[in-house]
Amino acid sequence: MTSVIKTEHLTYTYPGAKQPILKDISLQIEKGDFLAIVGNNGCGKSTLCKALNGLIPQFIRGTFSGHASVCGLDTSQSDVGALARKIGYVYQDFENQIIRPTVLDDASYACLNYAMKDYIKRGREALEMCGLEGKEEDYIWQLSGGQTHLLALAGEVALQPEILVLDEPIAQLDPAHADRIYGVLRELNETYGKTIIVIEHHTEYIADYCKHVMLMKDGRVQWILPVKEALQRVEELQESNIFPPQVTIAAHRMRKAGRFPTYAALPTTIPEGKDAFSPLLSRREKGKGLHLRGNSSPEVVSFQKVSVSYRSVKGEAHTVFRDLNLNIHRGDKVALIGSNGAGKSTLMKMLVGLIRPASGSVKLYGCDIASVKPEELSRKISMVYQNPEDMFIQDCVEADISYAMEVRSAADSRQRTEELLERFRLTALRSRDGRLLSGGQMRRASLAIGIALNPGILLLDEPTANLDIATRKEMMRTLEEMKSITETVVIATHDMQLVCEWADRIVVLWNGEVVADGSRDEIFGNRDIVKKVGIRPPEIFSMGQALCPQALCYTVDEFLDCFEGRKENNEAGREAV
Amino acid sequence: MKLAEKLSENILDKLSIDFLRNQVLKNAYGNNDTRIAKMDPRILIVWYLFFGLVPWFVNDLPFLIGCFLLVSITIRMARAAGLVLFLFAVGVFSQTGYLLLVTLLFGGDAAAVVPLLIMTLKVATVSLASITVFSGMDPDRLANGLMWFGCPERFSFSISYAYRMLPLLMEEFQNVLLSYRLRGNPPEHDGVIGKIRYLIYQIKVIMHSFYPLMLNTAKRSRTTVEVLEIKGYRYAARNKDVRKIKLSSLKVTNDDLLFASMSFLWVAVAFLISTIL
Repeated sequence: MTSVIKTEHLTYTYPGAKQPILKDISLQIEKGDFLAIVGNNGCGKSTLCKALNGLIPQFIRGTFSGHASVCGLDTSQSDVGALARKIGYVYQDFENQIIRPTVLDDASYACLNYAMKDYIKRGREALEMCGLEGKEEDYIWQLSGGQTHLLALAGEVALQPEILVLDEPIAQLDPAHADRIYGVLRELNETYGKTIIVIEHHTEYIADYCKHVMLMKDGRVQWILPVKEALQRVEELQESNIFPPQVTIAAHRMRKAGRFPTYAALPTTIPEGKDAFSPLLSRREKGKGLHLRGNSSPEVVSFQKVSVSYRSVKGEAHTVFRDLNLNIHRGDKVALIGSNGAGKSTLMKMLVGLIRPASGSVKLYGCDIASVKPEELSRKISMVYQNPEDMFIQDCVEADISYAMEVRSAADSRQRTEELLERFRLTALRSRDGRLLSGGQMRRASLAIGIALNPGILLLDEPTANLDIATRKEMMRTLEEMKSITETVVIATHDMQLVCEWADRIVVLWNGEVVADGSRDEIFGNRDIVKKVGIRPPEIFSMGQALCPQALCYTVDEFLDCFEGRKENNEAGREAV
Repeated sequence: MKLAEKLSENILDKLSIDFLRNQVLKNAYGNNDTRIAKMDPRILIVWYLFFGLVPWFVNDLPFLIGCFLLVSITIRMARAAGLVLFLFAVGVFSQTGYLLLVTLLFGGDAAAVVPLLIMTLKVATVSLASITVFSGMDPDRLANGLMWFGCPERFSFSISYAYRMLPLLMEEFQNVLLSYRLRGNPPEHDGVIGKIRYLIYQIKVIMHSFYPLMLNTAKRSRTTVEVLEIKGYRYAARNKDVRKIKLSSLKVTNDDLLFASMSFLWVAVAFLISTIL
């Protein structure tokens, strides 16, 4: 095997920074590898990738020492164009990577710029490899999030590089689109022999698709190991805020409690888990699944026969909802789920009066929403967008939180702002510009802004998207705490762990209508719905189901509680010891 | 009837950014299957130079009417978006149209009406010609056409990139405005004074929205700038071959020649009629 990437004592400091972000990195990556880079936020993963395609040090200056080469080209000497033909990079904010308005145009844009005569052919081939054939003439704003990501990938593939680097490819995607991306990557890796490097937090995907894992910590590479071996190091990974697959964590905890043999490897995927657990565990007899207790509190939101359609640039208008009916009661904690484009955001936008239904009525506390003035609306309902940047309209966090209260000359404005800063751990950041905070901080600030007026209903659009797992856990804790503050909360999300741990009621949108509405047992226990809508339950739930179709466990704790050790095995185990 | 329906429906959401965004997109890309959009951009640019300049210097009524009729036909061929035509109508009316109307209403004689009619026709012809070209052609083809005439690559890139960014910017703008709408506290708007105060408030909000909008855009463009570097944008600007490849997609077809000769014939006939009269 030949190595396509080689670095020696690579050290790099961003201009103006005191500490180097990459420290003495020496590594080799083999041709044909499928490598996952994991590590804490800010440990230098993205910086390392930019050092490989020559952006660092050629485009982004700073202090660079050591040596890095890609396919034999020295990254600090060869020009960025030559490197781009060896190594492609797909950004985390991939939508900003699309330059041209139509799909084929964008895919072939780089080839055109490098004066390749067959640029259109290359573009077409790249689109085919990325599964976008048939979309050549589409405009980029007609694509879904997943397709946009594939297009960003195709734009890189068109240059026919040896290596493809993807920064958090599935952070914003629903499971179906995420599978699609990884399917394409596997194809590129296996059929076309490309070397793939992903920066990834989702260890289930790493376990399913990758070959090696590289752990980075504080700007250093800790190790590069085969996936199986890497995911065994549960404690070391957790120290770096990486959470191994739930199956692995469950086995690890069982081992600690003496219920899993120390000589056996921890399972990392569900099939492995099935082999490992089925001789060891049997399901404890439990009562029936929980049903949604009827909430008899008054309705706060009601949709009656609502239809909505979007104007499209060309041709027929796109219908989002047709005769949608939905009631939400006071005190409900609702999770709204469904694939990208199922209408989750549209539903929320209707509730804040941004989109008007073509027919039917949307009622808020019994009044038609069209008759409520927007300024009155804000005391009743508040919305935190998917993109928290758009929540910041002032130049510091404190001013943003107090804005809504100040303009209403609320008497306790200052005191409440202090409380909110305190509650969301923003006191130290109060004078910073919201846009320049880290992902988790930005989310916390946007929540504080959202509940400043103490609304009765809070709408949250994808509150855990684009967060690394540690920040996501923290966010889930914050949302849990907020349950006691805000009466009625609706969360639109793809994050099924959040859904399972947080929501009392789950509403499933599919094809413009509500296809299921109930407790988590009713939704996840209903195989038809799960299959039809393409819901991906948390891994541990699927694990439980694989062991026993009646099992309904949503967290590792519940899993361990739900299954008990088999007596005979325990005894056999003891004898063996 | 249909028009009335359309108008009343349009007025309702005239101010929604969503509608504006849709119209901008429609205008730029929504009609790429029309006869005009398929034409060679170079021919269209030359065509535009004639209809955009000549009417200013001619005061002959039949000739101007001829030109006006021709551009009215081309605007139908280009299928321009409703909003643009509406703005055109408002524009012409506020320039000279209202004078013409007032003169007619208060019984102005031919001596007063004709000069005003000529002026109105000039403005209308030039505007419609501009709309035909700039809204009928997709921005990329326009950019390529300009490049052929020797416009710097950077300029033509800016045109197509600006169009690519516009919908994104408007969406962002919409979100920022929504933040103000949800969190702000606009003054009561009953009565005339209230209405004026409300209007001032709204203008203020729009102005304030630009600060967050610009910062968010700057944040986005960080990635875009790096990507342009990777995708060889700077390389292409220096390389003559790239220019050649880009321009090789331009081709004058029979349709183009037909369009050009029809226009020429039409203008010639109009000119002939005006000399006979």
